[in-house]
Amino acid sequence: MTLNLCVLTPNRIVWDSEVKEIILSTNSGQIGVLPNHAPIATAVDIGILRIRLNDQWLTMALMGGFARIGNNEITVLVNDAEKGSDIDPQEAQQTLETAEANLRKAEGKRQTIEANLALRRARTRVEAINVMS
Amino acid sequence: MSAPNDHQQSKSLSQNLIQKLPLPPLIPPLFATIHLKSYTHEDKDFFTNQASHCRPSFFFPVPPFRASKTPLQLGTTMSCSNLTMWASSKPSLSDASALSCRSFIAPLQLPSQNSLPASRSSSVTPVQCGLRELRERISSVKNTQKITEAMKLVAAAKVRRAQEAVVNGRPFSETLVEVLYNINEQLQVEDIDAPLTKVRPVKKVALVVITGDRGLCGGFNNMIIKKAERRIAELKALGLEFTIISVGKKGNSYFLRRPYIPVDKFLEGTNLPTAKEAQAIADDVFSLFVSEEVDKVELLYTKFVSLVKSDPVIHTLLPLSPKGEICDINGVCVDAVDDEFFRLTTKEGKLTVERDVIKTQTVDFTPVLQFEQDPVQILDALLPLYLNSQILRALQESLASELAARMTAMSNATDNAVELKKTLSQTYNRQRQAKITGEILEIVSGANALV
Repeated sequence: MTLNLCVLTPNRIVWDSEVKEIILSTNSGQIGVLPNHAPIATAVDIGILRIRLNDQWLTMALMGGFARIGNNEITVLVNDAEKGSDIDPQEAQQTLETAEANLRKAEGKRQTIEANLALRRARTRVEAINVMS
Repeated sequence: MSAPNDHQQSKSLSQNLIQKLPLPPLIPPLFATIHLKSYTHEDKDFFTNQASHCRPSFFFPVPPFRASKTPLQLGTTMSCSNLTMWASSKPSLSDASALSCRSFIAPLQLPSQNSLPASRSSSVTPVQCGLRELRERISSVKNTQKITEAMKLVAAAKVRRAQEAVVNGRPFSETLVEVLYNINEQLQVEDIDAPLTKVRPVKKVALVVITGDRGLCGGFNNMIIKKAERRIAELKALGLEFTIISVGKKGNSYFLRRPYIPVDKFLEGTNLPTAKEAQAIADDVFSLFVSEEVDKVELLYTKFVSLVKSDPVIHTLLPLSPKGEICDINGVCVDAVDDEFFRLTTKEGKLTVERDVIKTQTVDFTPVLQFEQDPVQILDALLPLYLNSQILRALQESLASELAARMTAMSNATDNAVELKKTLSQTYNRQRQAKITGEILEIVSGANALV
């Protein structure tokens, strides 16, 4: 049996092809998905998605969303997804630093919520690069 | 021959005239009529019968060519000028469209002119212009026409790209609706308390106003701003507080000029709306709502109906009703009409049709799903996605409407420029002809006098 992965963002289809295995970071921790997985629906956290093509592992930064697995079809709906190889390490690192600074400066409930979200996004992007190398 | 002197005299006379008249813009206001109309008319017939209103009615101050001449010359000059006048004031051009260069009736003019009372009573001051001015004017109209034509083509090309963007986003939104529908079915029985669905008594409302970044697109920006103003007035009447999130340069400059309207954030759009921009707006909206600063978020944007029609609409973005949001992709929860808060906002009644379409799409999807997390958590993950796709869609539609409006406006402007150019060149040719005839007459009469 083959497992098909489809990563959709509002802009475009990021990934739509066959994979061997994926590791998905969900709200309740990472789960690995192999062919013939039981149908589940899960929330996807801001985190990295690891994809195995034969013997090669790829990473992707996911910006939070939802995944549906069933019938050897994985559909991942996320706000934004970036392949680890497409992220510019310097830029990502810089964004992370800005986000950290912003969180320290944040005042009030609202700013804290915003800063926290931004920080988590930035951190995930940096992680996606680091896993690669 | 005192022709040079006369010319100078007429120049100074024209300068006086210019000082007295309110100066019209130097560039032919081809677009002015379109803008003006958008202020006064509603959107319904805006695009349809525009052409009939678009005849430019303006005039331009140029030196009157005629002035007093010596009695000896009067006979020939008169015949020449009469010829000019009759040639240029065609019946098709009414008094309102005074671009025909009618004779300027100076006080020392002979009272035997037929058109004298008519032109004096009309509000537009007819001005005669010389050949040179006409030539300049024709070339300026020509240039403007080139610009408008180019803008039209650019807008047309961009519309295609905007449509592509919508098509690219379709798989996502379709799957999302499918999943939401499916989950909603399973969640109906449970009592859900997700932060984005929380319906609180409304004290403060956030309005997300999406405008364009550029002008020259007919009444597009005005229509949406007027809509926002109306909504603000309504909210004020209801005694509710409000705040604005302005997206797009035109809206930004509008609200910046009006400091009494509270604006939470100014955002700028770019050429093509992406998920990032939608995310920026969604983040702002999300934090405003979750931190309970506002209790309701409304989205004001221009809905793209077709290339010649677009409507400014208001959609409720938050709170999302977990039962309703499946029903239509456009963000107004249909089944919440009984709700008091919803009755405040769901004034656009075009939702039922789309609901049917989406329901047919989702019928065949029935796998036995297991929830990895709490249904509430899953809903929590899905609703921001939904929020984002809503905003992205609104941005895309707004852009498409803007481009379509620009296309229409520019195509009208080009048509007007063509028409104007035609009339002006006709006048120019007639005047030239008249001048030549006059010169020939002078030569002939001079020759006759010698004989």
